[in-house]
Amino acid sequence: MNQTLLLPNRFKTIGWCILIPATIAGILLTTTGYEAEWLNAKVLTLFYDEISIISDAVVDEFGPFGLIEANVTNTLVGVVFLFGALMVAFSKEKHEDEFIANLRLSSLLWSVWVNYILLLVAFLLVYGIAFLHIMIYNMFTILIIFIIRFNYLLYKSTTSMADDK
Amino acid sequence: MTNRIKVERAILNLTQEELANRISVSRQTINAMEANKYVPSTVLALKIARVFDKRVEEIFFLDTED
Repeated sequence: MNQTLLLPNRFKTIGWCILIPATIAGILLTTTGYEAEWLNAKVLTLFYDEISIISDAVVDEFGPFGLIEANVTNTLVGVVFLFGALMVAFSKEKHEDEFIANLRLSSLLWSVWVNYILLLVAFLLVYGIAFLHIMIYNMFTILIIFIIRFNYLLYKSTTSMADDK
Repeated sequence: MTNRIKVERAILNLTQEELANRISVSRQTINAMEANKYVPSTVLALKIARVFDKRVEEIFFLDTED
């Protein structure tokens, strides 16, 4: 794997400090649907599509580049989560060498497979609003599965040598 | 592929850690190679051969599956 695409090792610790609270906040937000009042803001959007009811008529306004009123609670937590997860996933290990790079690459392949198998199952078996929730989680699962798999393989390769001098 | 890293290491009385430091890799890498779970790159194989002062073919061998 191209080493230049990895962040320095210290970002891994910083990443964990961001990722753990962001994960807890993300789970709370998706389960409770909470939106902080003070996080209502006018935001720039690449594409907007808003349905509003003006004097009993349904008006669907849409188009590219708009300035809209929106609550940015989810945006904020999602962005923070992604920063944390990317730092944890793509920071160098203390001894980043070819074997670690090999584990990294195979974990990435494994996580893409698992993620899409899970999505395929969800496509076939989950419908309606529940599927919408799955799609929200699916935006983050590749990174999560990768982090779990890679760290598990690292852990396994460390413990297998514990008694071997 | 199989190898004699463990044997050669014992001859020189090196620990996995010491060998790892000499060729600047992690200890996991040495351990994985000795367990035949990882095939090193040509560069790494040559570095290992240089530490043991032997030719690569005297340390690494093709398997029946290769």
